[in-house]
Amino acid sequence: MAPGMGWAVALRRREEALLLVAAGVVLAALAFLPLVFLGGELAKGEALRQAVRALSAPRTWGLFLSSVGIASAVTILSLGIGLPLGVLLGRSDVPLRRVALWLHAFPLFVPPFLLALGWFHLLGGGGLARSELGIRVLFSAPGAILVLALALTPIVTSLVAVGLQAVDPSLEEAALLVAGPRRAAARILLPLVRPAIALAALVVFSLAFSELGVPMFLRVAVYPGMVFSRLGGVDYAPGEAFALALPLFVVAVGLLAFERRAAGRRSFAVLGLRSREVPDLRLGRWRPAATVFAAAAALLPFAPISALALRAAGGHGFVELPQWIGSSAWNSLFDALVAGTFVLALAVVIGHAAARRRRGGAGLDALAVLAFVMPASVLGVGLIATWNRPSLQAVYGTSAIIALAFAARYGAVGLRTAAVSFSQGSEHYEEAAAIGGARFLRRLGRILVPIHARGLAAAWLLAVVFCLRDLETAVLLYPAGQEPLTVRIFTLEANGPEAVVAALSCVQVAMIAIVLALGSAVLFRRKR
Amino acid sequence: MYLSIDQVFTEPILRDFERQSGVKVRAVFDTEETKSTGVLNRIIAEARSPQADVFWSGDPVRPQLLVKRGLVRAYVSPEAAAIPPGFKAADGAWTGGAARARLLLVNKTRVKPDDMPRSVRDLADPKWKGQTAIANPLFGTTTMHVAALADAWGDDALKAFLTQLKANGCRIASSNGEVKRLVASGEVAFGLADSDDAAEALHDGAPIEVVFPDKDEMGTLLMPTAVVPLAGPHAEEMRRLVDYLLSVPAEQKLVDVAAHLPLRADVKPAPGGKRASDIKTMQVDYSRIADTMERLQPWLREWAGL
Repeated sequence: MAPGMGWAVALRRREEALLLVAAGVVLAALAFLPLVFLGGELAKGEALRQAVRALSAPRTWGLFLSSVGIASAVTILSLGIGLPLGVLLGRSDVPLRRVALWLHAFPLFVPPFLLALGWFHLLGGGGLARSELGIRVLFSAPGAILVLALALTPIVTSLVAVGLQAVDPSLEEAALLVAGPRRAAARILLPLVRPAIALAALVVFSLAFSELGVPMFLRVAVYPGMVFSRLGGVDYAPGEAFALALPLFVVAVGLLAFERRAAGRRSFAVLGLRSREVPDLRLGRWRPAATVFAAAAALLPFAPISALALRAAGGHGFVELPQWIGSSAWNSLFDALVAGTFVLALAVVIGHAAARRRRGGAGLDALAVLAFVMPASVLGVGLIATWNRPSLQAVYGTSAIIALAFAARYGAVGLRTAAVSFSQGSEHYEEAAAIGGARFLRRLGRILVPIHARGLAAAWLLAVVFCLRDLETAVLLYPAGQEPLTVRIFTLEANGPEAVVAALSCVQVAMIAIVLALGSAVLFRRKR
Repeated sequence: MYLSIDQVFTEPILRDFERQSGVKVRAVFDTEETKSTGVLNRIIAEARSPQADVFWSGDPVRPQLLVKRGLVRAYVSPEAAAIPPGFKAADGAWTGGAARARLLLVNKTRVKPDDMPRSVRDLADPKWKGQTAIANPLFGTTTMHVAALADAWGDDALKAFLTQLKANGCRIASSNGEVKRLVASGEVAFGLADSDDAAEALHDGAPIEVVFPDKDEMGTLLMPTAVVPLAGPHAEEMRRLVDYLLSVPAEQKLVDVAAHLPLRADVKPAPGGKRASDIKTMQVDYSRIADTMERLQPWLREWAGL
């Protein structure tokens, strides 16, 4: 063998490990390096002393506990609604349950602040259902909890519903021989989808805990607001913001530990992406009440969206739309598509490693989740510190920086979905191909990607939609003149015509609906 | 170009400049919640490799923070000659333009003509308990206003006022725009906001009465916009843009669409509007206000619970 051939063979043998290292380096550069640069700010001037003072102040921990309380309440409420609804829409004989699931899940993909704005148009001054009590409740901590819970419950419902598709129907049939549908659902089905419930709780808590737009709009003080005040206030203090973000990292690690403990070894095996025919759970006399519950859950989230549409139509917002929208819708789509594709590339490698429990896979998964939980403002300032250099203007000065920021923030979404897909496929195909001499790249191209095409397409679609709904990451970094639609809505929301802002919001909702519909159509076609 | 003046008002002016000059302007606008400090802090964060050539600020106070950090590329525009002294820096670090006034927006359906508030101190009057609103003083023009009050009254008096304001149930809105909404909808009787918010509410037909506060005492706080040349990569285009933003057509448009008060004698006020010289204004030193603003931040954060 020629001397150079030895290296080539060694590289081929380590293809999988090297690819994972490369993907890990990219993820670390996107999600970890910005934090390192931001942490470096602590060494400047008085930053460290001020950070220590901020972290030792009682009000810091008071606000932290208050935010934990709000996020916990949102999670409990979401689980309280989402668990029964997931069973009803996932496995029961409720009529039109698939349509209801889609309708119910849709608001998840709408920026939460738009939903808050919609609720304001409904319940606030001049709203269709204005009342003193409604206003008082909306602009309070319980109001923020309700708005966020309604926005995030679809995560629980969807994960439980699709998780139930993966449950072996024979277990349910055996239970139904000795118990009614309610008992079978509570004692058999829900425990079987425990990993899905744990993941849902993790995601809901993370999103509720890091949410800034809704509490700010509803005048509720939350911990991310304290972090943001160090970046958006007059005395710009990125080092202090980093220090204040540290407790959030601890929460993220705690959440991951909780999820791993709750889900056990089935951590990623939650979604039933494979097609499987399962009989409906017959509700009997409970069916009418369950139908009303499902219909209400499906239609309620459309109340704020309808209020936006009515406000837009009433004030000729749609007529004036062309002069205000600019290229923002296209910018949103372009950024999201590029970022989604980038996320998919990372997700294929890291998601596979996490699902197959390769060394480093769980660590990279944790890093992605950490970036997902981190306040967007902290990540954004860290990315500026990392990427704004004269030699990197081809990245920082263009929409590439948005794609990188989205990949950092929403990498966990694609990575988790891809991991779920891989974990549900048999490892035997890969092992057989490996024994036959196929290298990792070949196995990836010829076996893994084709087999899991549907799951990977779902990972891409979810990443794209999360990028489309983003506001808080893009608003800090978008290149001049290339703002996405969410940013344009937010900047015009100040003194722009209300009807136009409502119309732009409707465009945002419609754009996400179209992307979801097209994506679903592709997924559905592949299934057949 | 980075801006902290509302996009809805400034975008048409930038389009006019593009048509006249052939220079394409790529803009970053501020959001309401982080007004002024959002893009200001982005300029600071980008100091290593400046991206912006011009900062068009809604006030002349925050640009002082950029001056302190050496991020300004001073330029004395020929148009600056028409701006009264006191509304510009002699070295060209910033030049003022059409101004906003800090006003009390009063809901006429909730407040009788005889009961009209006359001073910002009325926000803390127990008579109006739970019926008033201001924007969060950590962000936006309210930051500058409380700093100006601290300079006028002293720190202790300002802190006592804000403490009383809180005890009086004054709603702390996320922005001046929200104060406008709260007053317009009648959720509160009156609130403190900017003259452009008032103009927008009146344009929408809201039952609003506008009060220039403290006109019999210390005067109303006036905030000229400020054009700030920065050390971005396009020096020549920066000068052309600065010249245009300070010109009569640009100031006239800002006055017309955003109901600002003209500073230049050759710009007409909006119909029914006033000139800056027509009202009794607070005597302020914008540079000193910037120092006060920084000094007050820790206390304000505590006051706001952040």
